[in-house]
Amino acid sequence: MATRLVFLSLVCGAVSVSVGEHLTTSEVPPKRPYFVDCRSPEQETFSCWWSAGDYQNLTGPGALSVFFQKNRDVWRECPDYSTAGENHCYFNSTYTSIWIPYCVQLRSQIQDIVYHQMCFTVDEIVVPDPPVGLNWTLLNISQTGQHFDILIQWEPPPSADVKKGWISLVYEPQYRAINMSDWKPLEVERACYQSVYGLKTGMEYEIRVRCKQAASEKFSEFSEHLYVYIPKVPTKETLFPFTMILIFGAVGVIIVLMLIIFSQQQRLMVYFLPPVPVPKIMGIDPELLKKGKLDELNSILSGHHTFKPELYNDDLWVEFIELDIDDQDGRSHHSDTHKLLGSENLNGNCLNIKDDDSGRASCYEPELPDSDMLDRSQAEAREEKASLLDSEGRAAHSSTTDPSPPGRSHPGATAEGASRSHPQIQSQLSSQSWVNLDFYAQVSNITPAGGVLLSPGQQSKIEKTAEAHSSPKTQKCQLAMTTDSAYTSEMDAKNISATPSLNGNEPKVTVSPYTVSEAPASSVPPVSDYTTVQAVDSQQSLLLNPSTLPTKGTPMPAGYLTPEQLNSIMP
Amino acid sequence: MSEAYPGLVLLLVLQVCAWVLLLWRCWGVLGYPLDCKDEQGSIISCTYISLEKLLDRVIQHAELIYHVSEESCTLFEEMFVPVSMRTQQNRARNTCITKAFPIPGSKSEIQKISDKWLLHSVLMLVQSWIEPLVYLQKTLDRYDDAADTILNKTKWVTNKLSSLEQGIVELIRKMLDEGLLAVEHQQTLTRFDAQPEVVESILRDYAVLTCFKKDAHKMEVFLKLLKCRHTDKMSCYIS
Repeated sequence: MATRLVFLSLVCGAVSVSVGEHLTTSEVPPKRPYFVDCRSPEQETFSCWWSAGDYQNLTGPGALSVFFQKNRDVWRECPDYSTAGENHCYFNSTYTSIWIPYCVQLRSQIQDIVYHQMCFTVDEIVVPDPPVGLNWTLLNISQTGQHFDILIQWEPPPSADVKKGWISLVYEPQYRAINMSDWKPLEVERACYQSVYGLKTGMEYEIRVRCKQAASEKFSEFSEHLYVYIPKVPTKETLFPFTMILIFGAVGVIIVLMLIIFSQQQRLMVYFLPPVPVPKIMGIDPELLKKGKLDELNSILSGHHTFKPELYNDDLWVEFIELDIDDQDGRSHHSDTHKLLGSENLNGNCLNIKDDDSGRASCYEPELPDSDMLDRSQAEAREEKASLLDSEGRAAHSSTTDPSPPGRSHPGATAEGASRSHPQIQSQLSSQSWVNLDFYAQVSNITPAGGVLLSPGQQSKIEKTAEAHSSPKTQKCQLAMTTDSAYTSEMDAKNISATPSLNGNEPKVTVSPYTVSEAPASSVPPVSDYTTVQAVDSQQSLLLNPSTLPTKGTPMPAGYLTPEQLNSIMP
Repeated sequence: MSEAYPGLVLLLVLQVCAWVLLLWRCWGVLGYPLDCKDEQGSIISCTYISLEKLLDRVIQHAELIYHVSEESCTLFEEMFVPVSMRTQQNRARNTCITKAFPIPGSKSEIQKISDKWLLHSVLMLVQSWIEPLVYLQKTLDRYDDAADTILNKTKWVTNKLSSLEQGIVELIRKMLDEGLLAVEHQQTLTRFDAQPEVVESILRDYAVLTCFKKDAHKMEVFLKLLKCRHTDKMSCYIS
């Protein structure tokens, strides 16, 4: 039987092909009226529509008739030709049964020609209406403000009885950007809502939904389009550069501060962390500890009980003994005098300046360098020498012009004269450093009253040397001095002024050997080994007290004072 | 020994009493007629389920079965049925298995059907299809490996159908207060014995699948109507 069927089908196929070929060769047969489609929107009613084809005379109403057969029963004519429109046959709910096979036939008016027949079951031809009530709600916007998510919702078509469960629909939403051409479909789901993620702000979107029966393949028409638009959030865009400006400004300020700190580091360090005062002895400047200023230091330290001047004196004395030997000319003497004057000045400085705890209070003003100091002492020396030089002249002058303490006026009166006439002295003085100066006139102690006690050891030694070679040496010296006019005149001046200075209470410590040697020649009373400085006047000149005699006649060691001696001397 | 004898007896009596008391307390629990059967058929302890939840689960089953049957039908049509025979006309012509009693097709008629009738018809449908599906599995084995997916689907549907049957039975018990003792599978399908021809077998199988799809749809619709009536009785009766 199967083989027969196959054979028959083959034969039929061949015949139809031949017929078709025959027809095509001759003419195209007119297209017969046919059913276009049958559709049930809600599984409760359905309608079928047809087309007349090429038969134009059958297009009018009533030209064709529709008959249907329900469940292979009798053929009945279409109950409603008008409700669904032209060329439509509408079957209402009374005529509609699901799961039952239907057949419809398109017949001519006369009802003898069957143009087309269609069989189906109603549940298979269900094509629902589109969903309605499409709307959207914003879920969230991303932190950058670039994207947002929405939830779209819709209602099932009102014709479909989804609520009673008569029909089960599934939905498929689609969306696209306005300027795009392709629609993007989302998941097909039973629920009447769905989320759309990743939409961009500032772009307008279009959304549409369609539905279909769960088991069928035919989708409904699309719903009405929904437009979604969220504008870009501008505040965040403007805030962004503002924050950047703030950050850069802060960084710049920090850099500037760092630069300031590093450039002014020292100053800031001093300001914020003032230097801790170094431990010091009151009244002594660390500057004094530098080379060449030990005399001042000794003068200061002698004020203290525990001072041991031999500690300083020892080393320096040794040094300067050597130096003394080396110096043959009268520079040593000159230096003695100068040293005396310088020490006077220094003593004056030391005694006058009030000491504070800054560490800088010293016998010298801090701004005065050595050169300044030298200049001052030079000035003093000049004054003295000027006074010495002009002593002869001054003797007359002083008596006549200045009855006031000559010690003071002399330096002031003859300063100018001395300065002019003794430029060489200045140079020589300036050339001398403190190291080369001898410490013959060593101030051993300062009395509380202000008197300066000198150690006579140096003086005695010098005395001895001077006495040993007094006349020849003096002559030699004078001769030596005569070679140098400046010295000679100076020495003469000194020699000359020695007596009046002593008489008139001149501020001069008589440690010059020449002065000593000249002493017997003149009417000057015998000069003691040392003289107590009674006071220091305002002009930093020492006021000597020649009447003071050492209580003890014990020969003192050269330049040394034992502590016991010192203590005995000290009141 | 003789002195211990009354003691032993007393001990025995006490034990018996204790056991009786223990069993008495548990008697009520054991006596409840809640016997659920799992796949193997052994009695396991059941957890109570509410009517709403049961109905939801049953409807879920029906929906799934319908969905899968529709898929397998489409697949079969694409794979095996010749293009010329795929028209709706031919589909409609396939006569499905006639049931013992006709089921109305119109919505209005169906809405008039009582709960009892609905449940019983669903049960009948489910029970009537278990055997044909088993048979279908056998016939599908004869095809080449292309039918494996359809075969798997059919197997899955068969399993779900049996569990659906259990659910319907329980539903009947809860809603109608009836107890069904035995599940009888009525043989309504005529069996083909001998090896049919290929074309015929294809068409027959295709007919089986389409008819099953229809009946699955029926089950789903009935159960949903039932649920509507359970939740909101008034609106569900109005057409």
